[in-house]
Amino acid sequence: MGLALFMVALLAILFYIFLNQKTLLHVISISSATLFMLIAFFLTRSVLRDGVIYSAGFFYLDALSAMILDIVLIIGWIASIYSVGYLETEVKTGKLEVSQIKLYYLLMAAFNFSMMLALTARSMGIMWIGIEATTLTSVFLVGFYNAKKDLEAAWKYVIICSVGISLALLGIIFLHLSSVEVLNGSHLLSWPDLFANAADLRSSILKLAFIFTLVGFGTKAGLAPMHTWLPDAHSQAPSPVSALLSGVLLNTAMYGIIRTAAIVNKNLGSSSYTGHLLIAIGVLTMLISAISMLTQKDYKRMLAYSSIEHMGIITVAIGIFSPAAIWGAFFHMVNHSLTKSMLFFASGDIYLHYHSKKIANVKGLLQALPLVGTVFFLGLFAIAGVPPFSIFASEFSIIAAVFDGGHLFLGAFLVLLLAVVFVAIALVLFKMFFGKEGSTEPSVAGNVSGEVMLVVMLVMISVGGLYLPDQLIQLISQAQKLIIGG
Amino acid sequence: MDYYFTVLSTLILFTAFLLIANKRPDSYIKTFRAQSLLLALTTAIMGTHNLFAEGHYDVMVVCLLIIILKVIYIPNLLQKTQANVAYVVEKDFFSSIPLLVILCCGIVAFTYFTLISMEGMDAGPVNIQLVNSVSVILIGLLFMISRKRAIGQIIGLLVIENGLYITGIFATHGLPFIVDLGIFIDLITAVIVLAMMVFKLNDEFSSIDTNKLKKLRG
Repeated sequence: MGLALFMVALLAILFYIFLNQKTLLHVISISSATLFMLIAFFLTRSVLRDGVIYSAGFFYLDALSAMILDIVLIIGWIASIYSVGYLETEVKTGKLEVSQIKLYYLLMAAFNFSMMLALTARSMGIMWIGIEATTLTSVFLVGFYNAKKDLEAAWKYVIICSVGISLALLGIIFLHLSSVEVLNGSHLLSWPDLFANAADLRSSILKLAFIFTLVGFGTKAGLAPMHTWLPDAHSQAPSPVSALLSGVLLNTAMYGIIRTAAIVNKNLGSSSYTGHLLIAIGVLTMLISAISMLTQKDYKRMLAYSSIEHMGIITVAIGIFSPAAIWGAFFHMVNHSLTKSMLFFASGDIYLHYHSKKIANVKGLLQALPLVGTVFFLGLFAIAGVPPFSIFASEFSIIAAVFDGGHLFLGAFLVLLLAVVFVAIALVLFKMFFGKEGSTEPSVAGNVSGEVMLVVMLVMISVGGLYLPDQLIQLISQAQKLIIGG
Repeated sequence: MDYYFTVLSTLILFTAFLLIANKRPDSYIKTFRAQSLLLALTTAIMGTHNLFAEGHYDVMVVCLLIIILKVIYIPNLLQKTQANVAYVVEKDFFSSIPLLVILCCGIVAFTYFTLISMEGMDAGPVNIQLVNSVSVILIGLLFMISRKRAIGQIIGLLVIENGLYITGIFATHGLPFIVDLGIFIDLITAVIVLAMMVFKLNDEFSSIDTNKLKKLRG
């Protein structure tokens, strides 16, 4: 069943290579994304029933990877539908050609493939290969429009992330070194085996391994001070790509950190070593992003900085490593993904209408684009952590877990930073809703398929704050137990 | 065998020093080729040992891949790229070469004292080999930040990768074969992607000086 994911992806890539008709490309994109969702549904159901799935030696799926895989595939499905309208509008205005659509879908499929590989690999080595491949497959999506700024963003992205991820490989090598006396044969580097035998690994080398994986995957996850590529890449990419980069890829990188932290914590018998590092780096990330957000002039950059901030929150929660904090971190991953990708989709529609990413050039958003404007407005409240949206629920549970763990100052400081972020969003982005739109030229017909998806996502994040389906609760709890190792 | 490895790891470290002292992109590529050759030699020794002692041939396959990719294909690709974009001769390093070499010595000393103080690391030859190979990684990083042109940064990345590979070889006698294979596929894709990016940068900015990438800030 799990291998079907890769077969569908490869088949889709083959189709993209040989087909040239625009409509056919759209159809294949949507149908492959739908198939992925169906497969993910069945996989998740069996994970909920059996705990873990092994197959073919290298395929491994447990509750944590199933949860993140579900996020990837659900947002991938929404992006595939949104992309149809987005690309059609860009073709109509003459900014893209049909051959570029083909390239876009091809790269998207490869990008999805690499994320699925990273999330379903049993070996930490293969997981590293998948995460490294996500950079290589998405670099041309970041520089898709080939203008000077796009190329600059793409170059920074590929160079900084490649160096970062090489350091993660050094971490994986040290992880391997710490286990050579314990594991052998096909068990080498396999996560479930490493975790099961964690107590016998060599602690001093494991500590070193954790630092390198934290810096390496942290670069990909946008943790400060290695975050500098992220605002550029996420703001220059076409909006559906930004949604995937922010909503999905950051989680995939975070997944690498969580897996390593779980092994190290189990080996050391306490979370204080990883905790100190993670909390320090998480708070620094939140601080830098909160300050940067106050001075932004570009709405997509603003959203990118907000992604950095949320990754900081998740990092702090993983650093606390109590059951409640881990639960909050995983729940926050789900919520942040949905909310942030919704905002990036909406920002794409705003860009299609105003042809500018500058906040100063966007005026009277609610009159000009009533539906997109409303979604963007409510989405901003949601991302800032206002009830009743789901981000509030998860942020609240993380902060509560921080206070419960006895970290009073840390908790108070986090609340302060969240307040700064709220002020920044209100000060900087709410300007877009005031005033009147300057030009009255009729814009091209909007992205209808995208707007439908925006409403669907808005419903999801609104309902998520008040009610959660039992399956999701069960999945997150299962993932939490797995990582805590109880 | 440990004796050969110690000698080879020192030679690889020496090529890293040589690289830092190189002034022109053409010489970077040559030094990288020499370093990869030493890498292949190390792998070959390891591979022969494995073949006769344990009957595994996978390290030999990796050795073959290194020769094809790192000794022949990648340097050639980079030379071609360099030839196509090199119509302006630019000075390509920030600070003076002697200063950079002294910094490299500092890096080796730093690595030595860090690794020697760690408990659980094998004492003796393995430790010296590890010091050498981890130093190569850090020197690769220094090389990347000391060069302005895109080609220099690509070479820096490749040297980091070489350093990682020998760290893996010396510390653990190689990663699992499938992982090594995947890393090679990633590496070759990365170099092709970067070479394409260099062409695009050159088209758009009429230069591959990365100091010109300054539009996006804040």
